[in-house]
Amino acid sequence: MIHPLAWIGWLIAVMAALSTTRNPMYLALILLCIALVDMVVQRLPNGATPVFSRKRFVLLIVLVSAAINALSVHYGDTVLFTLPEWLPLLGGPVTLEALVFGALNGLALAGIFLAFATAQRALPTSALVGLIPRAFYSLAVVAAIAITFVPTTLRQARQIRDAQAIRGHRMRRLRDWLPLLLPLLIGGLERALQLAESMAARGFAGMHQREYASVAAEQTTTRLLMIVGLSMLLTGWLLLLAWGIQWLGVPLMLAGAALLLGRLWWLGRRVRRTHYRQLHWTASDTAVLIGAVVTLAAYLLPVLGSSRAALFYYPYPALQLPPFDPILGFATLGLAWPAVALWAKPAPAPQHTTDTRAS
Amino acid sequence: MTQRVLSAAIYVLCSLIGIAAFLAPFLRAVVPQSDQQQASAATAPLLLATLVGLCFLALLFEVQGPGLNAKTVALLGILVAINSVLRFAEVAIPGPGGFSPVFLLIILSGYVFGGRFGFLMGTMSLLVSAIITGGVGPWLPYQMFTAGWVGLSAPLIRPLARRLGGEGGRGELLALIVFGALWGFAYGAIMNIWFWPYATGPAAYYWTPGAGLAETMRRYLAFYVLTSLLWDAFGAVGNILLLLAFGRPVLRTLRRFRDRLQFVYRPDWSHP
Repeated sequence: MIHPLAWIGWLIAVMAALSTTRNPMYLALILLCIALVDMVVQRLPNGATPVFSRKRFVLLIVLVSAAINALSVHYGDTVLFTLPEWLPLLGGPVTLEALVFGALNGLALAGIFLAFATAQRALPTSALVGLIPRAFYSLAVVAAIAITFVPTTLRQARQIRDAQAIRGHRMRRLRDWLPLLLPLLIGGLERALQLAESMAARGFAGMHQREYASVAAEQTTTRLLMIVGLSMLLTGWLLLLAWGIQWLGVPLMLAGAALLLGRLWWLGRRVRRTHYRQLHWTASDTAVLIGAVVTLAAYLLPVLGSSRAALFYYPYPALQLPPFDPILGFATLGLAWPAVALWAKPAPAPQHTTDTRAS
Repeated sequence: MTQRVLSAAIYVLCSLIGIAAFLAPFLRAVVPQSDQQQASAATAPLLLATLVGLCFLALLFEVQGPGLNAKTVALLGILVAINSVLRFAEVAIPGPGGFSPVFLLIILSGYVFGGRFGFLMGTMSLLVSAIITGGVGPWLPYQMFTAGWVGLSAPLIRPLARRLGGEGGRGELLALIVFGALWGFAYGAIMNIWFWPYATGPAAYYWTPGAGLAETMRRYLAFYVLTSLLWDAFGAVGNILLLLAFGRPVLRTLRRFRDRLQFVYRPDWSHP
């Protein structure tokens, strides 16, 4: 299993690469890497079955995106046909260039979707909940409770449906769902009441009298820091966007972000966390991260003597063959490393994990 | 008092950043751009995502406070589970367009239990259902944020509902229905901010340097009509139908349990 943080590094690299380039050659390479990783992930024992078909989804995104761009952007030399001008917003020439560019946008979007779906498939639900920052401890508890109760709620929904069916209830109109929804809601709320009582009785979020004052003082500090941080972010961004003052805007935004994240990190530090199954950072995680960093660096920084100009390909004004730089192409393959890391390991014995995604 | 002012300041700042993010593509069209800024246009969506993400974290922490009590945690957990099951049904049997059953409970619980609860209900519903249905992606923070706003703003219609006849009346339901319909459209429009710069691609800034406000507006309108109007209309109609069919019984149930959850746990300090 690859560490969740390594997966996040991989996702960032995929997202950055996909949003930098519209060159079909590189898009194809990136999608190939994702597909390769996805193929290996499907062999994992905990890989849950996806809820909907990916191929159809990708096709839909590409088609819709191509159609939207072709109908809204009337630019390019190769005119396919012309919509009458009296059509509001849509009228004008429909060009091959706009169609192609729309399809490429769709491909990039589909790539982002596929990458996330793959990573999520490889990670158990508990690892996803574990990624919630420690400062949001109580929200992580809420998420854990909700995920735990989803199978129960599903079961209850089925029981209610069967019970109503036995009594001769038929579903004809929207209102006929009420005899299903209301018992589900009331049953759930009853359970919430019991849960609240038992949690309060066990001292959840309990505090000693002495602590009240220090907590209140701390909250004031947090709020002040948040206000300062948010103001810095907003001012820096406006400076950047409206006046293009980079030397002041960028540092202001960075400082604001650091202030916000730093305070959250500081607050989260005190929350102690215990692990049922400890995840260890291994050499293959480092390899995955290095692969991601190589791709990221090649796409974002002028390194390795590659020509990044090949990335900035646009089909306007006339469609032409996209350029290809082999060094960049090779660097793209860094994204395929999770497949290698997962392939190399012997398949682990099936674990008894309670995975709610499958139910 | 100071605490309330500070808290309000955070809400106002986050709203300002939200509005600025919403208007960013138009702002870019109005202000004459230097070459350097043109070049940075490609990273604009990324910058926007970071900004909105940070703003979301700050707001989420403000709403959460130093920690939630046992009652809120339990109630939220269970209601989010129910909402996730509804979303699960939606993914398995896709409804038309932007129709989603999750907003019924987000709106009603925000209306009954207050804006903070509504915000967390919206945020956590989208998070947990995404984890369960496999819908985690870069769009998730935006969905969480926007759904949070739906719940956060629900208590705003309380004064109107009171004037229209108070608790349990028809006027209250009417106010909620109008509110749900408006959010049906607004949710789509806000989600577009994330989608639009990606869908049109950075090229939009390259091949028409200095496209004016009118041109940008025209293009956004075209994009909106093409992609969202019908989609969002389904969302709005869905909210109307769900609130019409289930609004009053669900409200009654939530109010009953709000009263039952009034119990107070009083620690006994005499035994240290």
